[in-house]
Amino acid sequence: MQVKFVDLGRQYSELREDILTSFDSISKSGWFVLGPNLEEFEEHFAALCHVKHAIGVANGSDALLLSLLALGIGPGDEVITAPNSFVASAGSIARTGARVVFSDVGDDMNLDPKKLADAITDRTKAIMPVHLTGRVAQMEEIGNIARQNHLKIIEDAAQAVGASRNGRMAGEFGIAAGFSLHPLKNLFVHGDGGVITTSDGSLADSLRVYRNHGLKNRDETAFWGINSRLDEIQAAIAVHKLKVLEQWNRRHREIACCYTEELKDIVTTFEDDPGEVCVYHRYMIRTSQRNELQKHLEERGVETKVNYPIPLHLQEAARDLGYGVGSFPVCEQLAETILSLPVHSHLTDDEVNYVIQSIKSFPFD
Amino acid sequence: MSAAGNFLPDQYDRDQHMSINHNYLVEQFSDSSEILRKIGDLVTRCDYTLGREVDEFEERICKLVGSKFAVGVGSGTDALFLSLKALGIGEGDEVITTPYTFYATVGAIVTAGAKPIFADVGSDYNIDPGRIEEAISDRTKAVLPVHWAGLPCDMTRIANIARKHGLSIVEDSCHAILAHRDGNFAGRVGDTGCFSLHPLKNLNVWGDGGFLVTDSKNIYEKMLLLRNHGLVDRDHCSVFAYNSRLDTLQAIVANHLLNKLENLTDTRIAHANYFDEKLASIDEITLPPHPENVKQVYHLYVIRAKRRNELQEFLQQQRIDAKIHYPVPMHLQPASVKFGYSPGDFPNSEAVCDSVISLPVHEFVTHEQQNLVVKKIKEFYAS
Repeated sequence: MQVKFVDLGRQYSELREDILTSFDSISKSGWFVLGPNLEEFEEHFAALCHVKHAIGVANGSDALLLSLLALGIGPGDEVITAPNSFVASAGSIARTGARVVFSDVGDDMNLDPKKLADAITDRTKAIMPVHLTGRVAQMEEIGNIARQNHLKIIEDAAQAVGASRNGRMAGEFGIAAGFSLHPLKNLFVHGDGGVITTSDGSLADSLRVYRNHGLKNRDETAFWGINSRLDEIQAAIAVHKLKVLEQWNRRHREIACCYTEELKDIVTTFEDDPGEVCVYHRYMIRTSQRNELQKHLEERGVETKVNYPIPLHLQEAARDLGYGVGSFPVCEQLAETILSLPVHSHLTDDEVNYVIQSIKSFPFD
Repeated sequence: MSAAGNFLPDQYDRDQHMSINHNYLVEQFSDSSEILRKIGDLVTRCDYTLGREVDEFEERICKLVGSKFAVGVGSGTDALFLSLKALGIGEGDEVITTPYTFYATVGAIVTAGAKPIFADVGSDYNIDPGRIEEAISDRTKAVLPVHWAGLPCDMTRIANIARKHGLSIVEDSCHAILAHRDGNFAGRVGDTGCFSLHPLKNLNVWGDGGFLVTDSKNIYEKMLLLRNHGLVDRDHCSVFAYNSRLDTLQAIVANHLLNKLENLTDTRIAHANYFDEKLASIDEITLPPHPENVKQVYHLYVIRAKRRNELQEFLQQQRIDAKIHYPVPMHLQPASVKFGYSPGDFPNSEAVCDSVISLPVHEFVTHEQQNLVVKKIKEFYAS
């Protein structure tokens, strides 16, 4: 049996007619940018995240970048984030001209609130917690620290659409949150796309101007902005997918539950805290024999990934930040032991069982 | 009522009441079955990001304009911005450009961290090469000429000045695909040439998209990193960078329309020539500039008109979508206040902005419609 890590084709089949109809009607309408589909998507997405405003942009990286820029973060400032994320989290901070400051993560793979104090300096302006794998970071404690130190929170919720913690949604905790709609995300479009959530009305207004060249109307720029808009066709797809998101996320959780139940005695698994709804954008296990297990699974036709093998502070791009091996031991240890198993909305029970049996057949030390 | 900050719904609503429209997309995509068939193939392949059709598009662009490299990016704005970044331009640097342009030109310079320095336009409404040298300072790193409306700048003179002062050139060719001057295609003289694929451009897609061309392997390789998070491969990031990719889906649309580009460019030129001929007798109208050795592609057909605002209002009442591209020059925008310019600093640009009006010359305009436009303009000035 071959078990693919993702299978976008199967997901597409379920919505094929709706999506093609939208393509056809939008192309016939001739309205491709900042139109009614985007407004519909933004309204629904804001409701999903329990916030007042959602602002569609070109991609998840820009969602973070625009949030930072609109909050006035730039050269001379510092922003704290996790070193075990996708490069876009740190990348968006670096793009503003601010300095990226990493802080180690805990066993939940998210920023460890206890370590944050050490990373805060006079120049710190914001914290960017990453809800990695679709698990919301410990936002109550992070929120307290931010309040005490007068820091803003910009959530990197790229992997966490629909996730929640103690009744509050990913995207609801910070002054702003950035989501990705990239094809490999739980809620995805057919190209690049992203969205920002906020309940701050003036920030929302500013973001809508920022994403469209800084234009306050056709003929006047309020400030010099950029071009970062969610295409109408992608917004229409996202509207269709929002209707099935809860069902698809539920399937992610079912699969995760099944993996954890069957594998918790042979590898290290993650479990939800009470009150936590992780949407398992990725399902990760930990084992000291990670590379051997990955090879074993590959031979059995099971595709797995490592998200990610090289922490951000050890990337060439971070060489000027002054970190080295040993700077963030928890993150570094995770990078050597984590393995992401296939999890997607259309993975069948048979495939899940095959993955489990394949892992069980590996001769662990 | 649209959300704050998005004025396009209201504008779109107004445009729909026009009978002769600038926006021709409804006609252009009245039958999209072939594009939809190709998208149907894409969604089974799931090759959504930097996929096969992006490669194909880049190869075809290289052949079309004779460049060594082409790179698809998220938008024309990003093509400009990423070009400046690839050339190492940022904080403390100055970039010379024209005050008569679309906002994105200046936005790209500011986003890169540099300061825009304006030089006035000449008789072709493009940056006047004779004014560039006086704008050069110790901090100047590049010239960013804009081929406005599809009429290329005098790149021979601009390139000589840039060479003499050791400046880079980034060409804003967003309006000017296939245009040429003195034998050079727009976008081919500078270090990079930047193009937009926005829905209303001569070569367009179903959303935002752009690309740039260059002959420099160094710039090309930097650009591949800059547009894709600085990733050398899946796991290695050599520089914190950006996400700005031409969607595979949009590349499918672009490839489809590339087949028609030369024809539709010829049609635009023919429509422009027809207007030239019919409007020549109206004293209150100044026809578009016609420098020698130029093929202009009329992304916009821009005339200058006496009592311009009244004329626009009159034409719009007649349901003719005459637009103004654009009424306020960049140095007088609210966003430019911090640069300290005043009215009178660039008199040519200001006079152009006060008098220009654009008439539709897209491929779906008919001579009958053009005749009506001319008749109404004559009526206006007779009254």
